[in-house]
Amino acid sequence: MSSAWITTRAWLLMLPLLIVMVAVVGWPMVDTVRLSFTDTRLVGTGGEFVGFANYTKLLTSRAFLGALENTALFAVFSVAAEMTLGVLAALLLDQQFRGRAFVRALMILPWALPTVVNAMLWRLIYNPEYGALNSLLTQLGILSEYRSWLGEPGAALWAIVAADCWKNFPLVALIALAALQAVPRDIKAAAIVDDAGPFARFRFVLWPYLAGPLTIALVLRTIEAFKVFDIIWVMTRGGPVNSTRTLSILVYQEAFSFQRAGSGASLALIVTLIVTVFAAFYIAMMRRSGSRA
Amino acid sequence: MSTLEIDAVTKRFGALETLKGVDITLESGEFLVLLGPSGCGKSTLLNIIAGLLEPSGGDIRIDGRSMRKVHPKNRDIAMVFQSYALYPNLSVARNIGFGLEMRKVPKAEREVAIRKAAEILQIEPLLERKPAELSGGQRQRVAIGRALVRDPKVFLFDEPLSNLDAKLRTEMRTELKRLHQKLKATIVYVTHDQVEAMTLATRIAVMREGQVEQIGTPREIYDNPASIYVAGFMGSPPMNLVEGRISDDGTRFQAEGGGCDFPTPANAIGGLTPGRTVIAGFRPEQLFPTPPAEAKAVTMEVEVVEATGAETLVIGHIGEQTIIASVKPDQAPEPGETVRLNFAPGNIRWFDPESGRALPNE
Repeated sequence: MSSAWITTRAWLLMLPLLIVMVAVVGWPMVDTVRLSFTDTRLVGTGGEFVGFANYTKLLTSRAFLGALENTALFAVFSVAAEMTLGVLAALLLDQQFRGRAFVRALMILPWALPTVVNAMLWRLIYNPEYGALNSLLTQLGILSEYRSWLGEPGAALWAIVAADCWKNFPLVALIALAALQAVPRDIKAAAIVDDAGPFARFRFVLWPYLAGPLTIALVLRTIEAFKVFDIIWVMTRGGPVNSTRTLSILVYQEAFSFQRAGSGASLALIVTLIVTVFAAFYIAMMRRSGSRA
Repeated sequence: MSTLEIDAVTKRFGALETLKGVDITLESGEFLVLLGPSGCGKSTLLNIIAGLLEPSGGDIRIDGRSMRKVHPKNRDIAMVFQSYALYPNLSVARNIGFGLEMRKVPKAEREVAIRKAAEILQIEPLLERKPAELSGGQRQRVAIGRALVRDPKVFLFDEPLSNLDAKLRTEMRTELKRLHQKLKATIVYVTHDQVEAMTLATRIAVMREGQVEQIGTPREIYDNPASIYVAGFMGSPPMNLVEGRISDDGTRFQAEGGGCDFPTPANAIGGLTPGRTVIAGFRPEQLFPTPPAEAKAVTMEVEVVEATGAETLVIGHIGEQTIIASVKPDQAPEPGETVRLNFAPGNIRWFDPESGRALPNE
């Protein structure tokens, strides 16, 4: 077989997939760009070309700035908490103890739950009338009366951060645990003989092996957090008073609730741009750790 | 410089008995090599001396002080690992000084110690580098440096040379020997390489299935192996072991299947009773070609001739049994030839085929 034929055949075999990809991903993306420069509405007549009007309007709107702030707060705090909890959990699960395999398997559970199920679960926990959190806090005497965790603008975002953290820290823990298991036994033994304390052991023995995988986990989780939609949609739909409205929620509202397909498209592209910056960072990280190995 | 006593140490992992009672006493300045194949318990024993493993029974004493329940950091030992075990994000200098840093030794004092160790090991130009920028041999020097600065009572080496290529291994071996002669340190060294054991040790403990099969100076182990196991393990190529029978008048040894027939030594050897089956052990270098006119002990049909440089290995069979002779290159026969060999002066070791133990030499 000539190499030319091998190449041709490879392309032929990939062709059906390529056609589907162009149809369901490529074309919509191009069309989104086109839409973003029009005032198209979801229902009704086709839109007129309006140039950058959608963008300028959006970037200066309070809705956008509010959503950007919410997204940033959500991303920074949920990712920070997930990283911290994940590493702590991994350090614990790396110890020798009875039932370790069971606990390791158990820890995956929150992450394995579908986001919608997790969101429903936490809505029950936060329920203002019979929620477990209210019951727990009042019984402990921390709270004097039941609160509506998802109904108060000052609390809702943090309640969602906690729910998201519970779901996603196991992923970080899993990655960190895998990294910890790659630490050579000899180095751990050397540190024991060298009289290194727990902090020195973490810093000089474990950290060099954790840093690379954790960076990747950090970037991955940040990208995910910036795109957050489903957990918020199920728990609060962006409310109360837009206090949990993130960029993705805003895109949805703009395009489908307010039926402004044109400006929804431009907003979607802005979110895509932000995520692309993180993704580029991620790829750079992967390349760096790849060349090091 | 310190003494080390290993007193009836046992170790069990569940149902598996890895160490079945090991007793070794080391004088100050001795270089003990624990030698044996993988799984013989030598690394387990080293880890017990270090305190990284608890013995199931028995005790370790350093300078007479029991190490029971003493943490590794308080045993005043230093360990060098097979994989070097350097801290990857610390410079060579900090790697070497790490143990001192953790023990809160003042910086100035630390630096003097690091300089001194680096000088001994000739790695001064590397002090600011990271481990990833070093070759295998350089990393091993750093690992040894880390042990040196501690000036411990006992040095423990866990197969430190087995990750190095052959040439470097030989160099580092010489260097370790030089280091030991200079420092007069007490060293326990684990290896499966009998050449390392022969060259480095003041005493070798050959281990087998969790027990010490034989302990002695390299010369004793080489010349007078206590068992077929030790005889087969030491020496490259190993000792020839020929099974045969003592003649009915008790004066000659005759190999099973012929090809080897010689008088038993004049001085009475205990256990060489007439008609008994025994195994005769002799080193390849004890054999030399002999002219047809003279008496011969061995008639060998040559199969393979291997030139190694200084000597040539002649591999062939006598009857059914394969033996190896090591001869001068100019005396080497051709494959297919039948050669007559005799023994150079020196002991022939006799073994009991049943127990595998050597027969007493008297």
